[in-house]
Amino acid sequence: MSQSYNRGTIESFGRWREFSAGMWAWIFHKFTGWVLVGYLFTHIAVLSTAIPAASADPATLAAGGDIYTNTIVTLESLLLVRILEVGLLAVAVFHILNGLRLLLVDLGVGLESQDKSFYASVILTGAITVASVPTFVAGAF
Amino acid sequence: MAERYSSFTKGGRLWLWQRITAAFLVVVLAFHFFLLHFVYHADEVTFALSQSRMETLTYYSLMILFLFTATFHGVNGVYNALINQGLTGTKRQVVKWTLVAASVVLLVQGVRTANAWAGGVPLL
Repeated sequence: MSQSYNRGTIESFGRWREFSAGMWAWIFHKFTGWVLVGYLFTHIAVLSTAIPAASADPATLAAGGDIYTNTIVTLESLLLVRILEVGLLAVAVFHILNGLRLLLVDLGVGLESQDKSFYASVILTGAITVASVPTFVAGAF
Repeated sequence: MAERYSSFTKGGRLWLWQRITAAFLVVVLAFHFFLLHFVYHADEVTFALSQSRMETLTYYSLMILFLFTATFHGVNGVYNALINQGLTGTKRQVVKWTLVAASVVLLVQGVRTANAWAGGVPLL
């Protein structure tokens, strides 16, 4: 038998104290989705520097003096970029884990424990992000 | 009867494609992060290193499929989030075709970038 879940008006963010786990999952999934799609466009724009770099002479490419290599090396030398990358990892990991949770619920698995799987997604995201910090900031100092 | 909360058009197939691409992206996005931050490191990137990966047909094909699925999943997600917020009528059509145009630009630029590394579509 199908069951109705009254989530109320989720767009009324003013009553955020009343939000349940499922509503926070919905908000976080939308937020991380917006960040990821924004990053996708930025990512391709930065990587596009490979197009002019491809016509550089072989000696310049071998020495890493092309516009693509210079752009990436310069960005990666900025601590702010490294911190933003850790943020991007957190956003991506949460979107992946919560996305798996949504796929399972869509398949009829774990609907009754969807609040627990949301908390698990948040905790695991935090753990993976913290554990990745040393790798992400390596060489930035 | 359960209320219908989905933002997708009833009877449409976009919701199914959103989930099919999700299942693919879960694996490939995790692989992408792992390969380019843990196996290789972001501060060691060079044109030659990116080129050596992209010249392999398997990697090139995976990245092209990654580009297409991520673009669809992201743009379709944005479109449905906006519909969920009440976007209708002419505004909906304008948003839809703007997103389609943005997707085409992203795909063309992404493929051009991959081809710049690979020197065209790799054959092996």
